[in-house]
Amino acid sequence: MHHGFTGKILRVDLTARRLWTEEVAETLYRLYPGGKALAAYLLLRDLPAGVDPLGPGNVLILANGLLTGAPFSTATRFTAAARSPLTGGFGESEAGGFWGPELKMAGFEAIAVTGRAEKPAYLWVKDGQAEIRDATRLWKRDPEDVQAVIREELGDRLVRVLQIGLGGENLVRFAGLTNELRHFNGRTGMGAVMGSKQLKAIAVRGSSKYLEQAYEPKAIVEFGRRLVRLVKEHPASWDLQDRGTPGLIAGLNAAGILPTRNFHTGEFEGVDGLRWETYEKELLSGRRSCFACAVRCKREVKVDDRYQVTDSYGGPEYETIAGFGSNCGIADLQAVAKANELCGRYTLDTISTSATVAFAMECFEHGLISPEDTGGLELRFGNAEVMVKMVDMIARREQIGDLLADGTRRAAEVIGGDAAYFAMHVKGQELPMHDPRGKVGVGLGYAINEAGADHLTAFHDSMVANPESLSYRSALPLGVKKALPARELSRDKAELYGLLENWCSFEKVIGLCYFGPAPRSFIPVEEVVGVVAAASGWDVTVDELLRIGERATNLARVFDVREGFSRKDDTLPERLFQPLETGPLAGVGISRDDFEAAMTALYEFKGWDPVTAAPTRARLEALGVGWAAEMIEAA
Amino acid sequence: MRVHLGGHLAWHDPQKRSWIAIDQVAPISLIDLAHQLGLPLAEIAVVAVNRCTVALDDTFVSDADRVEFFPPLGGGGE
Repeated sequence: MHHGFTGKILRVDLTARRLWTEEVAETLYRLYPGGKALAAYLLLRDLPAGVDPLGPGNVLILANGLLTGAPFSTATRFTAAARSPLTGGFGESEAGGFWGPELKMAGFEAIAVTGRAEKPAYLWVKDGQAEIRDATRLWKRDPEDVQAVIREELGDRLVRVLQIGLGGENLVRFAGLTNELRHFNGRTGMGAVMGSKQLKAIAVRGSSKYLEQAYEPKAIVEFGRRLVRLVKEHPASWDLQDRGTPGLIAGLNAAGILPTRNFHTGEFEGVDGLRWETYEKELLSGRRSCFACAVRCKREVKVDDRYQVTDSYGGPEYETIAGFGSNCGIADLQAVAKANELCGRYTLDTISTSATVAFAMECFEHGLISPEDTGGLELRFGNAEVMVKMVDMIARREQIGDLLADGTRRAAEVIGGDAAYFAMHVKGQELPMHDPRGKVGVGLGYAINEAGADHLTAFHDSMVANPESLSYRSALPLGVKKALPARELSRDKAELYGLLENWCSFEKVIGLCYFGPAPRSFIPVEEVVGVVAAASGWDVTVDELLRIGERATNLARVFDVREGFSRKDDTLPERLFQPLETGPLAGVGISRDDFEAAMTALYEFKGWDPVTAAPTRARLEALGVGWAAEMIEAA
Repeated sequence: MRVHLGGHLAWHDPQKRSWIAIDQVAPISLIDLAHQLGLPLAEIAVVAVNRCTVALDDTFVSDADRVEFFPPLGGGGE
C-alpha cells in the first residue's frame, strides 16, 4: 500500500486515439516522486534523442508532485515537460493554480501525451476515466470562451481546464499553458508542443481527497493549520500577500539591477511609473489564490483608461512589469497590464515575449530591423503603443512577428550583424528580469540550467548574503555554511549555488511553490521534511530530499547531453560580461575568468566532467540512476 | 522626512506602513533611523537617499530627505 500518490499515469496516443493507464511502483516513485523528476525519467525512457519538438513524436508530460493537492498552503504545483521547441533541450515549466490538485483527485499522478490528433481535440479526465473529444469549434477561440464552453458541455462549472491560446496554436516557440485563465506554465514553449499535437485543452474533475491517501492525514491537517498562522506571522509571506512580486521593482532599481532597455543598464528613470504605489492606484482590483493557499499572492487588475484591460487573466507579476516596462523603456503600467492581458489570452510566456520585443527594439534602434519589416511601426524603446501591438503580431505571426515568434536566438541568426549581441538568451531561452551583474549566483543558474535561463533554479544571492538575516538563518538546516556577498564569484559561491539548486529542484519535484519553503519564505526546512514523511510514510531526511532534487537535475542534464549540449552552451550573453554604464553598479560586469573558474567548481561540486559538462557515471550511480550513464556514453 | 519601508520591512512597522512621514529636526544617521523605526539591520540590503544608493553605515539624513530601505528580497534580489 503506497501513500501520498495515486500510482497511476494516464497515457495518451492522439494519433491512434488510444488511452491507457501505467502503474508506478512505490520503489520507482521514491526515486522520482513527481514533477520534474518523474517527467525527466519518463522522457529519457520514452523519447528517443533527436525527435522534432513540434512533431508527433514528442511526448508532453504533465506531472504532479507527491504533495500536489495536499490541503495546505503552496502545495499546488505541477510540471509540464517535453523536448523544448525553443531550446531543443529539456523543456520544463511549473505552474500552480487548481489543475494539478484536481488531476490528483481524478486519480492520476501524471499525463503523458504523444502523437497528433487528426483534428483539434481536447481530453476529458474524470475519476480514473478519460476520453478524447472534438475541439474543432474551440480552435482559435480565447481561453475564457473555451473554459466556459467546456464547462457547459460537461455540465460542471468546477471542471478545471488546462489549455493553450492562439500562441500555442500558431506554434510560437515560447507559448505556454494556462489553467483557470490565471496560472501559467510559461517557459520553454510547452504550449507550442501542445499546439503541435492539435490538443486544445485538458479538462479534469475528481472526487477523491488527498487525505484519503496520505499516510498520516491528521499530521497533514495540523501542518496546514500551522501554516495558516505562519503566513500571517512571517514577514516574507505577509509581503507576498500585501504586494506580491510587483513590490520588487523599486528595490531592484535602487540596487542598480532593474533590467532596462534590453539589459543595457540597471536603473530606469521612469521607475515611479512602474512602482507598487502606481500599481495599487491604477491597476489593482483584487487578490486571488491558488488551491488551498493562504498566501494569496496573486493580484487582479482591471483598467478602463488609457488602455482597456479585463480582469480575466490575472495581474502582471514582477517579471512582466520589468519585461514590458523598464526593459522596453516603458514607464506606463497600464500598457504593461495590457501586454500582460494579451499574453494571458494568447498563452505567451511574458518573460520571453517581452525580452523578444526588447531585442527587436534594440535591433530597430540600430537599423537592423527597418520600418518596412514592421509595417511602418516605429519599434523604438519607450513606444508603448507599438510594444502592445508587437505582442499581437507575435501571437498571430504577422510580419516581423512571424520571425520573433521563433525567439531571439533564431531571429538573431536571420537578422545577422550585431543582432546576436542583442539576443539576451541562454540555450535559446530568454533571460528573466534579474541582472546577474548584481547577483552572480543567479548568473551561474542562468548558465547551467538545462532548460536555459531561469531565475527559479536556486535562491538569489541576496538571500544568503547576510549571516544574521532571516533567510540565511532559515537555510542553515540545508547545510549552508557561509554567507557570501551577492557579487562574490568564487568556488564557495559555486558550491553554495549547487546546494541551493538541489533544494529548489526538490521543490519542483514535490509540488511545492517557490514562495513556500525556506529560505525564500515561511515554511521551515524541518517542517517540509515532516510533511513529506506524513504524506508518504517514508522515513526521509533533509539529505534524501536534497538528493531527490539533485537526481532530477542530473536526469535533465542527461537529456541535454543526449541532444548534443555541452559546456560551451553553459554560458551567458556577451553583454553581461561588459560593465554596466550607469546607475549604482556603473562599471560592474562579470569577469569571464572568474565565471569560467566558478563554472568548473560547480561541475566538480556536482560530480560532473568539467570538460564535457556531463554527469559522471560514478555520480549517476551514487544517485541511483546509473542506467542513465549509458545514454551519455552513447551520445 | 519621508521614509519608505520596501518589501517585508513594512511588516516591522506596527501599522504596517510602507511610507512614513517623520518630523525630525536634527540630522540622524541611517543606522539610528533604522533603530528608531524598529528595522532589523540584517534585513536591510539596500538604502537610497533622494533616489541615490548609499551605504547604511556612514550617511546622515535630515528633514527634507527621502529615505528608502529595501530588504534582501526586494532590494538585493528577488
